[in-house]
Amino acid sequence: MKSESIEKLIPQRSPILMVDELVDVHDGVAKTRLAVAADNFFIDKDGLLAEAGLIEHIAQSASALAGHMAIEAGATEPPVGYIGEIKKFCCNFRPRVGDVLHTTITLGAEVGGIQIITGETSVNNKVAASTQMKIYIQE
Amino acid sequence: MRLENNYYEITGTRCDTTSGTFHIALLKDCDVYRGHFPGNPVCPGVCNIQTIKECAEKLVDKTLTISTIKLCRLTAVATPTVCPELDVTVNIAPTTAGYAVTASIADDKHTYIDFKGEMMSV
Repeated sequence: MKSESIEKLIPQRSPILMVDELVDVHDGVAKTRLAVAADNFFIDKDGLLAEAGLIEHIAQSASALAGHMAIEAGATEPPVGYIGEIKKFCCNFRPRVGDVLHTTITLGAEVGGIQIITGETSVNNKVAASTQMKIYIQE
Repeated sequence: MRLENNYYEITGTRCDTTSGTFHIALLKDCDVYRGHFPGNPVCPGVCNIQTIKECAEKLVDKTLTISTIKLCRLTAVATPTVCPELDVTVNIAPTTAGYAVTASIADDKHTYIDFKGEMMSV
């Protein structure tokens, strides 16, 4: 796929930009990546990423997929998306500074501008967190 | 990340052993609004989840991690101008693994988030 800079795909910016790259999109499944930097906004004082950071990373990964699809369809600006609902979130472990998060987003149904997604984030092939989400995309 | 005195400050507390209401003021100059979103400050839903966790930590006087979220609904868009002052209400019940936590953040007009999940002490 053509590689777009993440700033073209999602509206979030530093200090709360939580995706480095949309790596691949294929049949409604997206893969993203984030290297956890020491100055990440979501790092707890124990040097681990807070659960809120994992959730935000998954939400922005879904947003990057939505941005990719919108730009393919001719949009010039990435759409603004809000988390509407988080369901069945499970955190197995919190990644640490230096870890690279690899996330898979799978699109579910879309009803009235609300997109259902599932997301799973792994570090070194171990699942750190998974969740379902409803994301409200502002037209 | 510690959001107390960065994203919000607590201006009043009413607590017993299993529940608490924390009156908070959102700090509109928090760094997070530079990026969420440029020129359009909106409270990140995840910051409100973290706020709930920090209030739960005060209630049990322990450091907690969120192990599961059964359901968390973000039912209205919060911003530091739309809702500068909010009530964070947290209820806690001990379980074998930690605590079952139900919580919400609201003002007299709207509920912005309601949360049902499990937290464990670290």
